Amino acid sequence: MAANFWASSHCKKLLDADEVGHVLPADQERGLTPEDVKLIKIHLSTYIKLLAQNTKVRQRVVATAIAYFRRVYTRKSFSEFDPRLVAPTCLYLASKAEESTVQAKLLVFYMKKILSEEKGFRYEIKDVLEMEMRLLEALDFYLVIYHPYRPLIQLLQDAGLTDIIQTVWSIVNDSYRTDLILMYPPFMIALGCIYIACVIKDKETRGWFEELRVDMYVIKNIAMEILDFYENYRNIPEERINAAMAKLPQRS
Amino acid sequence: MGKSSGEGRYIKGTSLGEGTYGIVFKATDRQTGRTVAVKKIRLGKYKEGVNVTALREIKLLKELRDPNIIELIDVYPHKRNLHLVFEFMESDLEAVIRDRNIVLSAGDIKSYMQMTLKGLAHCHKKWVLHRDMKPNNLLIAADGQLKLADFGLARIFGSPDRRFTHQVFARWYRAPELLFGSKQYGAGVDVWAAACIFAELMLRRPFLQGSSDIDQLGKIFAAFGTPRESQWPDMTALPDYVEYQFCPAPPLRSLFPMATEDCLDLLSRMFAFDPNVRITSQQALEHRYFSSEPAPTKPYLLRRPPPRPEGPPKPSELISPGGPVVLSPMSKAVRLSAMPGGDVHSFGRVDREAGKEPGSAGPQGETPFTASRIPMSIDATQLIRPTLNSADRSHLKRKLDMDLLSNQD
Ligand SMILES: Nc1ncnc2c1ncn2[C@@H]1O[C@H](COP(=O)(O)OP(=O)(O)OP(=O)(O)O)[C@@H](O)[C@H]1O
Ligand SMILES: [Mg+2]
Repeated sequence: MAANFWASSHCKKLLDADEVGHVLPADQERGLTPEDVKLIKIHLSTYIKLLAQNTKVRQRVVATAIAYFRRVYTRKSFSEFDPRLVAPTCLYLASKAEESTVQAKLLVFYMKKILSEEKGFRYEIKDVLEMEMRLLEALDFYLVIYHPYRPLIQLLQDAGLTDIIQTVWSIVNDSYRTDLILMYPPFMIALGCIYIACVIKDKETRGWFEELRVDMYVIKNIAMEILDFYENYRNIPEERINAAMAKLPQRS
Repeated sequence: MGKSSGEGRYIKGTSLGEGTYGIVFKATDRQTGRTVAVKKIRLGKYKEGVNVTALREIKLLKELRDPNIIELIDVYPHKRNLHLVFEFMESDLEAVIRDRNIVLSAGDIKSYMQMTLKGLAHCHKKWVLHRDMKPNNLLIAADGQLKLADFGLARIFGSPDRRFTHQVFARWYRAPELLFGSKQYGAGVDVWAAACIFAELMLRRPFLQGSSDIDQLGKIFAAFGTPRESQWPDMTALPDYVEYQFCPAPPLRSLFPMATEDCLDLLSRMFAFDPNVRITSQQALEHRYFSSEPAPTKPYLLRRPPPRPEGPPKPSELISPGGPVVLSPMSKAVRLSAMPGGDVHSFGRVDREAGKEPGSAGPQGETPFTASRIPMSIDATQLIRPTLNSADRSHLKRKLDMDLLSNQD
């Protein structure tokens, strides 16, 4: 089942920890710190999710959109690519790539609705369409992304743990608040999420994990990363986000 | 050094033709000296940005690399139009079949089928369905290699519970499960189409030329007999299943008098009614037909029709003088009939997007089990998210820390 992943561009493009989360020179000049970058990414991942709920697209589209978003910023600076436009455009592009197109008009309607209070960046349809093209180039036209959801189901069935699926599913959703999707094969992320859920729900799964013969060290690293999100970034005070966003170039 | 891309890299030549969603130009790649074909994608009318068909083609071709699949060399935007750069292809299989001056030997046919199936097996290995297999989408390079092209209807399969549209393929190449409205089909649909191409190479005319979906099934059953329930148990459960009057199968040999036993055996396996029984593209390649005499002709020795005429074909050229007319059957219009029972002719506009499945967009599309059991996504604000109090957290953290340590030694 995972055979297609191993042969995919997604697999070939997996990055090391030092290739994600860094601050590009243009952003450094504006005073953005690694922490700011992290906050902005979380904030806009949430924005993508909110837009998706309003425009009623599938979870898979949200996941792909966030993966595009995070991938773009491993190479492009926030200064050059305004994340407030890139985020919705990622959703737009992902909706096409995942075969459930959202109309640009509808998207822009909700963009304005959700962010009506935040002035300074009202984007129009033409901005989204223009950014779509730049985004495609920034992604080097690689659009196929694999997600942990499918392996998750199979793994849980195999482990006889389908009763905790809701918990694991939600942890997987939250894993997109991190850069994990750019760094690890989706089934490993699924395992990391299962691992956390098992600890929370007090499930004894040591034997099952051992039989899988996966690198438990990696699985636990993934789990730690997600846990770090729960501990430190689950409820980010608005001032912190505003302070980080204020360092971005303001649109005239 | 990063390779350059964009308008400046290519010296634009003459126009090669026009497809549904763009104009194709011949060009020279300054960087490699190679002749290429640049497809300029037309902008949609409705302010919907990059054409979805083009996007689908790009997305899948970026994942596929095989000698028998067209190479997407580069993609770039210029003046708001997307440009797709392909390797230049001299001809296509439709032109070969149609060219009365070309004699196709048994070895030639074997060679074309081998290349077709190799390309297809590569797609299927990567879980890509082509869904538009027909002779004019099988392009032929200057060195004789046949390559699958036109991935605008293709898509990734293998997702459980994904429902696809059955309005794919030109009708004459459509598998019976599609004609019966199946929405959960698999790679077998491409194999059936490849079988139709196989037959067409031998007959030098399209094998099953139905004039409607109903007639298409009639033609299929006239050739292979009406399937019995034992032959294809799932048939009666298909959405558009209708009972056909029983008709016995004539011997396959009577339809293909020149074919060898091996050839007929492979052909009949590719034409199996039940998609679960139908041979796969990989198995077909391993069939003894390909190892028995005569050997497949080396691609560079295959005779080819004269290179495409430069410039867009005049309408008169679209109909081959003499010989049977082997144009694709309403191929573009067929894609229109996304609505069940929709008559092709009632639509004025050609729209490739009709190939999109309407059923997949629902919010439950992702959920692998029944919709009632699992939420589409668990929203941050809506419960179920693991609530960790600080005691839990430190417990968990400690456990992970400890495990990490114990794992290291
Ligand atoms: N790689 C190529 N090399 C040479 N000529 C090409 C190439 N690709 C396309 N062409 C030429 O350009 C024409 C248009 O191609 P295109 O793929 O856009 O549409 P089509 O296949 O003719 O129709 P449709 O859009 O229905 O698939 C083709 O008929 C062919 O003559
Ligand atoms: Mg074509």
